[in-house]
Amino acid sequence: MPSSCPECGSSNVVEDDLYSQRQWVCVDCGSVVSEGHLTTTVSDETQGRAVPYHASTEVLKKPCRNLIAGFSRVRALCRILRLSSDMESAVVSLFERAYNHPNFIFVTLTKKEILGGCCVLSVCRQCNWPVAMGTIGYLLGVDNATLGTVYREFTKVLNIEISTIGIMDMLESFCYDFKLGPQQVEEVFAEPAQRLVDRTSALIELAADAWIVTGRQPLPLLFAAVYLAWQSLNPTVRMKYTFVKFCKIGQAPKQSWHRSRDSVVKRLKELRDVLCKLGRELPWLRGGAVEPNTVVPLVDDILKNRRALLMRAVRNHEQQLQNESQTAQTTECDDELSDSNRSDSHSSKTPELMDPDQAGCENPPDKEATDCQLPPNHWSKRHLFLPPCVKSRKRRRVDAPQLEVTGDEEISDGEIESYIRSQDEIETYLKVRKELKNKA
Amino acid sequence: MDEEASLENYFDQSIAGSSDYIFEGDLGLQGPAPQLQDSSFLSSLTSQEKDLTEDLDLSFLPDELGTQDELSQAKNLSRNEDSGIYTDCPLRESTEGDTDTSNSAQNASQFNLPMTPMTPMTPMTPVAESSGIIPQLQNIVSTVNLACPLNLKSIALQARNAEYNPKRFAAVIMRIREPRTTALIFSSGKMVCTGAKSSEEQSRLAARKYARVVQKLGFPAKFLDFKIQNMVGSCDVCFPIRLEGLVLTHQQFSSYEPELFPGLIYRMVKPRIVLLIFVSGKVVLTGAKERSEIYEAFENIYPILKGFRKQ
Repeated sequence: MPSSCPECGSSNVVEDDLYSQRQWVCVDCGSVVSEGHLTTTVSDETQGRAVPYHASTEVLKKPCRNLIAGFSRVRALCRILRLSSDMESAVVSLFERAYNHPNFIFVTLTKKEILGGCCVLSVCRQCNWPVAMGTIGYLLGVDNATLGTVYREFTKVLNIEISTIGIMDMLESFCYDFKLGPQQVEEVFAEPAQRLVDRTSALIELAADAWIVTGRQPLPLLFAAVYLAWQSLNPTVRMKYTFVKFCKIGQAPKQSWHRSRDSVVKRLKELRDVLCKLGRELPWLRGGAVEPNTVVPLVDDILKNRRALLMRAVRNHEQQLQNESQTAQTTECDDELSDSNRSDSHSSKTPELMDPDQAGCENPPDKEATDCQLPPNHWSKRHLFLPPCVKSRKRRRVDAPQLEVTGDEEISDGEIESYIRSQDEIETYLKVRKELKNKA
Repeated sequence: MDEEASLENYFDQSIAGSSDYIFEGDLGLQGPAPQLQDSSFLSSLTSQEKDLTEDLDLSFLPDELGTQDELSQAKNLSRNEDSGIYTDCPLRESTEGDTDTSNSAQNASQFNLPMTPMTPMTPMTPVAESSGIIPQLQNIVSTVNLACPLNLKSIALQARNAEYNPKRFAAVIMRIREPRTTALIFSSGKMVCTGAKSSEEQSRLAARKYARVVQKLGFPAKFLDFKIQNMVGSCDVCFPIRLEGLVLTHQQFSSYEPELFPGLIYRMVKPRIVLLIFVSGKVVLTGAKERSEIYEAFENIYPILKGFRKQ
């Protein structure tokens, strides 16, 4: 540090800051003795302060890291689902819109991932490219409920019109997912995809007519239908393979069916029940018994003639009902009194009142007593095929007797007093609470 | 044959039920007797239809077939039968009787569904015979202002039927036995009363009882601005409903996502009610401030649902 000014020779040199640059200036003559470097090193930058990114003058703001990661994830999803490049770009732009929306910018990272899935789902629906929510769910690793809440919020916030897709739309791509080509599996298991699609679509149409499809998750039903179709195309060899084995043969990814395998089993049972009901109407069986575990070889014939068989089954059922109502007129009082008597008074029975969830056989002389949960004159007894939720009522709803009130009645003091603690009670309560607090 | 006769009876019955709704031109049609012209037309229709019903799934056709257009559409339907029931074609909104035969034949081959002429608003003429089903009220939510600040801790201490957990929720939850209801009482003096079934008067009585309890606990509670905020009703139409068909024809009002919820959510515009429609035929109506809104909404939806009844 210089101590004397070279101009005037005084020793009064002080340090001064001019525009935050250090200078040594002589007080007497004002000349600059020496100054610091214009270019500073990091260690000299004591007065500098970093400018935050959002206040910077950078014109093109870089997108945040999570958004970039989101883009790559969304693109990966599109590629797995084999969407066209137009759809992929639509998805990406929709994702950017959604990501930057105030409702979604601050949510957790998992929710942002789900948001990406929702964008894919929405674009697929708009372009009539059928993708089930369950598929997106298993690709992202979330369940339908979580996906559903985010999807609903997403459509509401961005004002997107949602269109429903039917189960038949999802069918073809679903069947093609199973790897059952002749090169991939053994000869006995192989099935050309088109045949599988045709057989499965016939089965699902039948299921829709028999009320198994409406209101249910589509994926378990699709799995059940594909399995039954595959079995029925070569029953002698394939009957012994269970559903799980079939999925392994067809190399279906485990996460897609594993969670819903209970539902798949239930749908299989329901499908077989329907097939049995129709199989019974086949004229060349002459009314012989048709069991759920042996109905698969008959599936081919049943599906070919399903419309005619449906008509016959419904007609026979109505015939049955007419006969029953005639015999019921003679023994009317007994019937209305108790359900348990019905099985005795009616001689001819058809299993129209089958409860699909009950593990039971399909033999004709099945008792109506299995249906004692429903009141005797319930409307469902008139139909042969019904949505299973109508037939199996889990709990009998007891409606409490309705009291007639005017709203302005007198309220008795005694009733109100019963809701108020006495002084002793209060003291006891406080004492107990203090003791519990002390113990804790 | 029995079948033909029963089919014909079925048509006659449903004509008597809600004919006015479909025959927009026939404003004079009141009472159960259908016009002679229509019944003769229908009997010819049933004989022709019998062969078609053997092959067809007529679940999407309305019960009442008003004009020749429907018949030609039905014929086209049998040709297009195998291309699948649930195709995702957009359905053109058209009013009954406005389309000429050639147009409708063309359209029927394009769209695999017949154009159900259901207007989703209130019917143009009052229905002569109502559905005969009355929705039962299941829950009524009301609010009232007690108009005095309340000490929730003291209420929770002195009342037997109260619970108060300030960390979870900032109100006292109080319950009474008769009528069986629950109330949320806030420190500002406002109160919400829920759980009353079957009538608004019950809700009012329950709210008064809560106010009386609060009075007895030493607060100068009043009973101001009692208002019913929401009413929920439910009923059963006693036939299964094709939800997939309903969502296609009433796209702008319905939302049906079987993967998320098994029922169809129908947002009716007039009256402003949300209906949950299930495949079993049960219908839940909510969002009403008045009992009449629930009844009106049900009378509006019943003819629509009957159109999706599977024969």
